[in-house]
Amino acid sequence: MQDDLEALEDRIARLRRSVRAAMRRRDSARVKELRAELRRVERAWDELADALERDERQQPSAPEPARPPGPLVPAREHVHQVLTLLGVPAAPKLIGAVHRAFFPGELPASRLASLRRDEERSFRSSPGARPYYLCPALTSDLLAPARGLVTVSSWPLEHRIIGPLSPRVDFLRAAVAVADAAQRGLHETPDTERLLRSFAVSIPGATPRGTGPIDPGLLTRAAEAEIAVHLDADRQARAAAADRARRRLDETERLFGTKLRAIPGKTAQG
Amino acid sequence: MDSLNTRLAALRGGTSPVGFSARTIAGLNENPGCARRALLDASGADKDRIGARVGFPGRFGQSPFALARGRVFEEQIKANGAAQLLRLLREKLGLTIEEAAYLPLEDVGDNTGRELRARHTTAQLLRAAREGDDAGTLFDHPMLRLRVAGCTAYLEPDLVAFQVGGRFHVVEIKSFAVIDGQVDGEQVTAAARQAAVYVLALRELLADHGLDPETVSHEVLLVTPADFTNRPVVSLIDVRKQLAAVRRVLARMSRVETLLDALPEGVSFDLAPDDDGDPTRDPAELAAALHQIPARYRPGCRAHCELAAFCRDEARCADSLDVFGPAVGGMLGGVDTVCAALGLAEGTRAPAEDEAEIARALRHAETLRSGLG
Repeated sequence: MQDDLEALEDRIARLRRSVRAAMRRRDSARVKELRAELRRVERAWDELADALERDERQQPSAPEPARPPGPLVPAREHVHQVLTLLGVPAAPKLIGAVHRAFFPGELPASRLASLRRDEERSFRSSPGARPYYLCPALTSDLLAPARGLVTVSSWPLEHRIIGPLSPRVDFLRAAVAVADAAQRGLHETPDTERLLRSFAVSIPGATPRGTGPIDPGLLTRAAEAEIAVHLDADRQARAAAADRARRRLDETERLFGTKLRAIPGKTAQG
Repeated sequence: MDSLNTRLAALRGGTSPVGFSARTIAGLNENPGCARRALLDASGADKDRIGARVGFPGRFGQSPFALARGRVFEEQIKANGAAQLLRLLREKLGLTIEEAAYLPLEDVGDNTGRELRARHTTAQLLRAAREGDDAGTLFDHPMLRLRVAGCTAYLEPDLVAFQVGGRFHVVEIKSFAVIDGQVDGEQVTAAARQAAVYVLALRELLADHGLDPETVSHEVLLVTPADFTNRPVVSLIDVRKQLAAVRRVLARMSRVETLLDALPEGVSFDLAPDDDGDPTRDPAELAAALHQIPARYRPGCRAHCELAAFCRDEARCADSLDVFGPAVGGMLGGVDTVCAALGLAEGTRAPAEDEAEIARALRHAETLRSGLG
């Protein structure tokens, strides 16, 4: 099955080259034809990849699923991996940094930018066809997409909503998750220490005395101590917003947020 | 007010008015005695395009590199719920651990309309002011309004206004470096002026809603990179002086009537744009209109006024000492032109009674100079 995937990937690459060539020739009919074909092959790839994933999940005896080789994994899976490690909504920058610190392969920043739009389009065209979607976090007040924060659709709604204290709580939780991954010795790279330090310097009591390396245990304890301070207030705000979202929003809006439209006659003046 | 606005609009002509930003409002403090600039600004005339039309296209504005650097630094400070800023505030100002709420105000839903954002900001800030502790600590990119010469200026503290110990502080994030604890004084002054405009707008917002404007602190927080790193440091700046200056200049803008009354009939800065927005006004006529209003050129004008090149040329043509700046002008008090100063120095011109002292000093300088030659 892996071989089939690779064959499809080769075909996708070839098709993309042909599309570009046709675009250069300004042969729009051919471009249209090739792109339709490209979409068909990409869909076939998705289905195959999903099937593979399902198979792997159904083999509980199998050891840790092998880390997928870097370059062949599409960006959305990279992002999914990182978000699963972090367990909280994260900005593209943090996703990139965590990816560099713990995972092989490249995750180009440009891919992250187009991801959100692609995911929403894919969901709208065939809802629920994929096991998960990458979607924006929702703001607690307007239930609108929060700028630049990515989450996974399979997470509980409460985790995907951002209240006033959530950026801080999620930052601390991410610190705990990263410290934990470092302690497990998950594919450490030179970037790991840098990432740990970037968390530790912004959390009171998380940096060791002197100039030694960051102690993940200390980082975890410091972050958890501060989480305890904010947790109740944050949980309340998120739960209240999630309730509201369940009552008022449809399935798509619960994932991708409501769009606020200007009411005619009340548009901006001045 | 309406008749004033009509008169100002007539002065501007068919062009749409240029909005104010904190930077331009802060810039008004520079050279407040310049009537030409006061009138152009009050009428919302596009100085940049007027300058270009009369033959002095300006290379004006911030460098794209400086802008990009500023943006990256700001992003870094505000990343992850402004984690780095929070640390600074906790360390330097004793912000309690509980106060960590972060509210991004740069859009309302997906909508980034200024008026909508301003209303949203107002609601959030008022809630914070009224309800105290729990209602928010960091407000990212609030949108404020300020009345300037009868028009609404939208101001976006390119940074955060926050509440510590029950007071609002304006936070300015600037990317110029503090090296060994030393900063470029001019840049700090500019930042302080800009921050003062924000403080004023915030205070007016509170006052308009029956709250104590003094809740907004006159101390602003300046966040800058330390030395040659990206590590941020925070400094407190007292902007009371700048605040008073901004108030004064805004009050003067609304007294622009006196300047208007002194204008000869028929003066207008109209660019007479055609359907494509290209100016059709005769450049010579436009320049003549500008010359009718007295300017006060100083070398510093080039840093904040798009019309500076035009005025410098005017000052040069008039043989004015203004081109050398106020320091030289002050030293040669009473002597107005370069010719007169040189005449006194070389002894070809007999000094008037009140010029005797200056003439002596100039002649002495001239002997020293020719001694060197």
